[in-house]
Amino acid sequence: MSFIEKYRASKFSDIKGQDLVISKIKNFFKHFPEEKAIILHGPAGSGKTSLAYALAHEVEGEIIELNASDLRNKQKLSEIVGTASQQKSLFHKTKVILIDEVDGISGFYDRGGLAELLSLIDMTCFPIIMTANKIWDKKFSSLRNKCLMIELKELKYWTILELLKDIAKKEKKEIKEDLLKNIAINAKGDVRAALNDLETSGTTVSEVNVRDKEESIFNALKQVFKDRPTSNTIGLYDKVAMPLDEIYLWLEENIPNEYKDEDLIKAIDLLSKADVFRGRIYRQQHWRFLVYQNFLLSYGISASKKGIKTGFTSYKRPTRILKIWMVNQRNAIKKEIAKKLARFCHISYKRAMSEFNLLKVIINDENIHNAIGLNEKEIEFLQA
Amino acid sequence: MGSEIWTEKYRPSNFEELVGQEEIIKRVKNLVSSLNIPHLLFAGPAGTGKSTLALIVVKALFGADWKENYLELNASDERGIDVVRQKVKDFARTKALKNVPFKVIFLDEADALTKEAQQALRRTMENFTGTCRFVMSCNYSSKIIDPIQSRCAVFRFKLLEKKDISKVITRIAESERLDIDNKSIDVLYEASEGDCRRVVNLLQSTSSISAKITPQLVETMVSSAKPSDIKVVLDYALAGDFVNAKEKLLDIMLKESISGQDVLKSVQKEVWNLGIEPELKVRLTEKIGEVEFRMVEGSDEFVQLQAMLASFVLAGQGKL
Repeated sequence: MSFIEKYRASKFSDIKGQDLVISKIKNFFKHFPEEKAIILHGPAGSGKTSLAYALAHEVEGEIIELNASDLRNKQKLSEIVGTASQQKSLFHKTKVILIDEVDGISGFYDRGGLAELLSLIDMTCFPIIMTANKIWDKKFSSLRNKCLMIELKELKYWTILELLKDIAKKEKKEIKEDLLKNIAINAKGDVRAALNDLETSGTTVSEVNVRDKEESIFNALKQVFKDRPTSNTIGLYDKVAMPLDEIYLWLEENIPNEYKDEDLIKAIDLLSKADVFRGRIYRQQHWRFLVYQNFLLSYGISASKKGIKTGFTSYKRPTRILKIWMVNQRNAIKKEIAKKLARFCHISYKRAMSEFNLLKVIINDENIHNAIGLNEKEIEFLQA
Repeated sequence: MGSEIWTEKYRPSNFEELVGQEEIIKRVKNLVSSLNIPHLLFAGPAGTGKSTLALIVVKALFGADWKENYLELNASDERGIDVVRQKVKDFARTKALKNVPFKVIFLDEADALTKEAQQALRRTMENFTGTCRFVMSCNYSSKIIDPIQSRCAVFRFKLLEKKDISKVITRIAESERLDIDNKSIDVLYEASEGDCRRVVNLLQSTSSISAKITPQLVETMVSSAKPSDIKVVLDYALAGDFVNAKEKLLDIMLKESISGQDVLKSVQKEVWNLGIEPELKVRLTEKIGEVEFRMVEGSDEFVQLQAMLASFVLAGQGKL
């Protein structure tokens, strides 16, 4: 039995570092059915599923679980959860319905699942607990409205350390405190990860594998811009949960903040060369070029400065896409006018756009408005 | 101010009203009078009468119901192969309504059609010669594939001369009761670069300020209609201000909706006007060429333009 299963918290008292959340959950159960469902959301390994089990234990309820490994379409949901939510339990006082990893409901394979879930929440006689890592997607907005949202923070490293010490003692493992500390820090708030590391670390003092946690883009940029390049630099963007196209924009926005003069010129030149490889990948579908692209963007840009940089730089979000969007909004009306004008004057839309400054003076007349077929909004635009 | 767009109001509607291009007009008129025309290709600069002549041909052929037998497509807006396969084919396959045995499709700016679309067009032209004639216009006949050129009677339009432009201006001025002197006509002609459409547009927008047209008034209009200057961007870059140059460039590109290629084109022209050493001009131009090459190969135009700005920054510091 793995540590994760063996030491899964079964009572609220076993769960460390989430006292506020626990009191919220207790409160929710006490006042059920005032709110019918809660969503526990937060990073992996912060104890979401354990909390649900602990609640069931605490209230002597039976737990009905449906997680992402099950198919969760409309039919399945109403079959398992639907019936359970209506019938009293035979042996237990009550029931707790757990829908684990609700953000993993697939729009395609779990067709109708989300809608069914909403109607289940309306009908249920028992509390429903849902867990999720990321619940802010638009498609969950109606779900969010129906549920009490409870956020879990990732655990502090000393909380994890206490837990590890506790378990090590129970397992009669003699492990140096240093190593435990290492594991706890490495876990970055993820208890499950910490337990896994503890289990595999054995009794001898050995290096704990450094966990490949998701790097934030800020961190990646910091390392590229500030440090001397190392072999680690090349893989930096792999750990950032962001498509490379977006990373380009972040680089473009922030290179001028970090690098000056010749460093800047070099870095921009490498960005441009990387983009050439990107174009070749798209056009020729020759994915080997990814290696070069990635290298230039990470190691290359990192190496284009002399020495290292110190001090704090706050990296800015890319503004280009936003700007394009804003201008497009503003230009939408102008484009419509240009299109109508183009048809009327036997010219291309592009030409109408490029001559717009001249044309707008000419066409600002009621009869011409009618002749071209401008609507009120477009006329307003011209007169402004 | 008049209540019509003058480029339409004063667009010649018969052969006699046309100015310039005498030779072409004579030949086309002969073709039309026989009530049978081959496919036509009009090549030449903007505003020299290509679209107008095409419209006149159609009106002369079909008289009052010209609109039913005529399809106008602007290839630079609808340049894909789909257009040729659908719109053009659908229109071409039905029979004409009048005593003329064919319809006319006018493909304006046909040089903007992709090569694939042109290939598709070539078959369509052959398959439907029974029911349909094509009139195409383009700026550069070299951008039209040979098989199409060989199926067309090609006419090359020349830039309008000053006497032609003056004729147009005077005619409109009389009819609109404008007060205009020769000096203003000179200025209008200079600004038009032989483009008749542009002259008429300039004249109309100037007249919206005052019926008395003066050279100064025309100048003001010309400069206000000019798209924002790319030179500002280069000045920033040469002064070493990369960030501002970049911001300004993006603003201009978005506001005027111009492509990266267009930017390069005007930058490359602008380099000649910069007050820098000839040697530096050479190196900058070479850089711009390199940027254009990378733009063709790469995927994000703006990334490449930034690389160009970077070279200008270097040039400004005397390090290029």
